[in-house]
Amino acid sequence: MPEIKVKNHRVIKHPILSEDAPCDVSIFVDGKEIPAKAGEPIAAALLASDIHIFRQTAKKGYPRGIFCGIGRCTDCVMTVDGQPNVRTCVTPVRAGMKVETQIGLGRWAE
Amino acid sequence: MEELFICRCEEVTRQELEQAIADGAISMNELKRWTRAGMGLCQGKTCAKQVMALLAQKTAQSPAAVKPATTRNPVRPMQISYMTKEAE
Amino acid sequence: MRKVQAIVIGAGPAGLAACIEIAKAGGKAVLIDENAKPGGQLFKQIHKFFGSREHRAGVRGYDIGSQLLKETEELGVEVFLDSPVYGLFQDPQGIMVSYMHEGQEKALLGEKVILATGAAENALTFPGSTLPGVMGAGCAQTMINVNRVLPGKKVIMVGSGNVGLIVSYQLMQAGADVAALIEAAPSIGGYGVHAGKIRRAGVPILVGHTIKRAMGKDQVEAVEIVALDEGFQEIPGTGQVMACDTVCIAVGLTPLTELAWLAGCEFTFIPSLGGHIPIHDENMATTVPGLYVAGDIAGAEEASTAMEEGRLAGIAAAEALGLYDEITAAPLKGSVWTRMDALRTGPFGQKRFDAKAQMLETAKGGKE
Ligand code: FES
Ligand code: FES
Repeated sequence: MPEIKVKNHRVIKHPILSEDAPCDVSIFVDGKEIPAKAGEPIAAALLASDIHIFRQTAKKGYPRGIFCGIGRCTDCVMTVDGQPNVRTCVTPVRAGMKVETQIGLGRWAE
Repeated sequence: MEELFICRCEEVTRQELEQAIADGAISMNELKRWTRAGMGLCQGKTCAKQVMALLAQKTAQSPAAVKPATTRNPVRPMQISYMTKEAE
Repeated sequence: MRKVQAIVIGAGPAGLAACIEIAKAGGKAVLIDENAKPGGQLFKQIHKFFGSREHRAGVRGYDIGSQLLKETEELGVEVFLDSPVYGLFQDPQGIMVSYMHEGQEKALLGEKVILATGAAENALTFPGSTLPGVMGAGCAQTMINVNRVLPGKKVIMVGSGNVGLIVSYQLMQAGADVAALIEAAPSIGGYGVHAGKIRRAGVPILVGHTIKRAMGKDQVEAVEIVALDEGFQEIPGTGQVMACDTVCIAVGLTPLTELAWLAGCEFTFIPSLGGHIPIHDENMATTVPGLYVAGDIAGAEEASTAMEEGRLAGIAAAEALGLYDEITAAPLKGSVWTRMDALRTGPFGQKRFDAKAQMLETAKGGKE
């Protein structure tokens, strides 16, 4: 197989796809700044920073992350800019977004 | 984590569903109302198939005979504010 | 309320193809999709498609996607993105489609409506199946091929159909390690060409095996797999623990049919097409007047057949709108059928061919 280059979990060089674009913005995850690409799904930016636990469930408090990756299962929901239950796998990154691990059903920002 | 979560959204286990069937549930509507399986944010997209298969198996119905729970508008979760802001 | 000739719901291969055909016939079609980008699941398919040359076999999925988008644009099809459809209502003048857009409820009236909503991956339940790291194979495929991030480094793939085989290979292309591919059935489900590729890359394919549990504190750290006998029962003492950080599930698709149920379509049950399917005739017309289906909602197959079904539904809707007369429409539909039949050949295609034939019989029966 041709040379593959993965850096920070990002597939930089791929045998078929063109070269990957670099990160151009940052977002804040539970207050911590991480690099991201404007327009990519929030979930992608989180995985690239090795963040896999997106929320805790309402009943049991169990961890959840991505599951379907295309907006159908709602496992990946987080609180984004104060709005709970946002599907991070289909919501594009904007510079400076505030993303929070959602606890249970989440709460609206005051 | 030993539980078998069939409905991921509402954290409903296989055991809870089997109990509901033992209690007399014979349709998806009953299972949904009694256990909340299928009532989560994804509206059953992830769990309905497995719940239907379990129901068919435990009640000796053919899988063809088990219909999904009644579909109603809106089929997508939406904020109440959407309804109140009617487009011109 | 604004009224248009046709509304197509879902901008994947079927929906795009349907719009293209309606526009080519001189009709006005509006395409509505809930996602931010059109193309459905085409853009994650970086492999070359099978089929004949008219099917653009040998062309990669994303190139077909770009081509379809270009055509829709050139033909001036109006596309509404970020617009989840939540309701369908019968109206004397057609079908009213309600959708959400930018925090508002909106509606459009269509003389004809084509549902091309696709399918969802089947889930599997085992202890630990909700742990972060367990995901659909299509999910991993989206992450690596569209978003260019690796969901994990060491993957166990569950399911040896074409999706499981292709995504395993693509995970390796993206730099992940596939520790094993496991399959409950006694033989591999997908094409030998795909299986050979991953076998040559050194991935063990364990048939007659299933996943017993995923283990880990807050995310997947390992799985236990067990061997199964012919009756799919666990053979005691065969458990083995394999370290991994990702479990991909590739155990089939289910058509997304809510809108068809809502509209009052009659259904039939065909397991090989994914379960309950809206009954449709040789024009892709459902039992509800003016309502058509195309693509995976009409039975989960693959992108090439979805495209052809989209074309068929588009041509048929154009004919029903009076944009084509019967004499013009017949050969157009005929050539779609020829291509579709060609796609439904071979050991796997034949099954789908038979299932679809059974569907047409059901549709005929319903009409008499
Ligand atoms: S991962 Fe399923 S909705 Fe995001
Ligand atoms: S998994 Fe059951 S409602 Fe979502």
